[in-house]
Amino acid sequence: MRKRLKLSRPSLRTRARPPKHRSVCGSQFSAANLPGILQLQNCTDCGHVQYPPAELCGACLGSTLIYKETACTGTLLAQSQLHHSLWEYFKRRIKRAPWPIASVQLDVGPVAIVHLTELDLDTGDRVKVFSHSDASRSVVLIAVPAATDITTPELRQAVIVGIQLDKSAERLKGV
Amino acid sequence: MKDYNGVVLTTPISMGYARQSPHGAAWFVGSVLREMISAAGLTKKDINGFSVSSFSLGIDSAVALTQHFGLCVRWLEQANVGGVSGILALRRAARAVQCGDADIVACIGGDGAAHRSFEHTAAHFSNWSTDAAFPYGAAGPNGPFSLITAHYMERYQAQREDFARICLDQRYNANHFPGALLGHKKLSLSDYLNARPIAGPLHLFDCVMPCAGGEGFLVMSEERARQLKLPAVKILAADECHNAHADDPVQDRGGWTQYIEGLYNRAAVGPEDVDFLQTYDDYPVISMLQMEDLGFCGKGEAPEFVGHTDMRFDGSGSGLNKLPHNTSGGQLSCGQAGAAAGFLGVTESLRQLTGQSQQNQVSNARLGLVSGYGMVNYDRGICTAAAMLQGVDR
Repeated sequence: MRKRLKLSRPSLRTRARPPKHRSVCGSQFSAANLPGILQLQNCTDCGHVQYPPAELCGACLGSTLIYKETACTGTLLAQSQLHHSLWEYFKRRIKRAPWPIASVQLDVGPVAIVHLTELDLDTGDRVKVFSHSDASRSVVLIAVPAATDITTPELRQAVIVGIQLDKSAERLKGV
Repeated sequence: MKDYNGVVLTTPISMGYARQSPHGAAWFVGSVLREMISAAGLTKKDINGFSVSSFSLGIDSAVALTQHFGLCVRWLEQANVGGVSGILALRRAARAVQCGDADIVACIGGDGAAHRSFEHTAAHFSNWSTDAAFPYGAAGPNGPFSLITAHYMERYQAQREDFARICLDQRYNANHFPGALLGHKKLSLSDYLNARPIAGPLHLFDCVMPCAGGEGFLVMSEERARQLKLPAVKILAADECHNAHADDPVQDRGGWTQYIEGLYNRAAVGPEDVDFLQTYDDYPVISMLQMEDLGFCGKGEAPEFVGHTDMRFDGSGSGLNKLPHNTSGGQLSCGQAGAAAGFLGVTESLRQLTGQSQQNQVSNARLGLVSGYGMVNYDRGICTAAAMLQGVDR
């Protein structure tokens, strides 16, 4: 029993992946974002675009929300580099280099917390945000400088490969 | 808003602080209750109102605890609102006593700290946090607050040295408060500045240490407290506002702005009259937002304000303006005991205003302002509350 407990520690596993768990709305968001650049909830009653996903429209409380391809442009609000994480995948990545995150105000309204690919951006810089199904098969949002071409899946995949978000973080001789 | 006349707060208890604990939340809540009725000279039968705040009760709720503890109550509340739970509890309990729904209300916050429990709380804090904040680096609250801090520093030209003023003076206060988990350690400016980085501008001493602990107090009529010969504190005014300024892209103010003027008017005092201030200090920038929004200085002026203000309990610092702040060391030096952290400022204020503080007593403390902030549902804390408290003449 003691041995089993020891072996179940995330830090001893060979492969560590990003957090997979999502709420029901979060899982729907992941499913809706498999195709395209960025799909957000649109309210069919009042036209409100919202993120994070919720069951009702945050503006009119209407219940008919549909996912639609949305303009992916936005403005960088704040950024920071993480040197500490609670999750084994990021702990392993942070050992190599701090992990950059940012908050972005999308032109369609909502504020999104995102993975940041570029370190030399300033507050107020224009960015594009696209969705990506990570190594846990849950969707996360990635921000790139506005000049980056992300029109095709191949171009977006190249960005992901650049920050190695497509792979689990591995440990030699793990369980 | 109606006044809180005739109601008092008594019997502050802070107990059981530990970095890790084998005990669950019920142990902390129940232990605070035991200490409280013993300190007040009451029995369980005298308690007919019960207010509980905790993150780690799991599938149990406040009513399950009444059965655990053998309590029979006619008024029950569960306020799981983290950093404002103490002030919310006192506001609601005071109304219950004032209206005769309950005679004596025990307000308690308590949380355990099992191995890796903080990781679990952070990963499952709220749906929006799980879906849209935690997956981005899994930094827990450090993630959103590093963004809030970075934005504040850029917008208002704040420096790490400004945040250090708050952290250093609080550690000095904690050095004189035996209950503080980090109170045995001194903290110097170079320790602070050379600490290891955690997230963006946040370094080790900007972050609270999650821990276990329990906090609580009793709410009863002024007359009952006099009969029991309990030192007591009156509520001059109290207010709350949640999810204010929702359209601000990054948080640099809170709901305090919506009611602070009315709160001072009802209390018939101003910020210059208070003998101490207790803010919710999960990160030093949040204490700065409170100093600004509670009217101690203008928006963006907190870095300058803390530069010339001595925030030690005994006024022994170099600043010319004296404002004892987080006189027990706050969460930055006591540790953050889950929902009990929302009670920390209230219990410390009660000890100060009733002369029950020991080494860290503010001399002649008569009037204190306590403020709460909490619940990072997604990218910011959305709860705020504040209460002006005054010691009752004995």
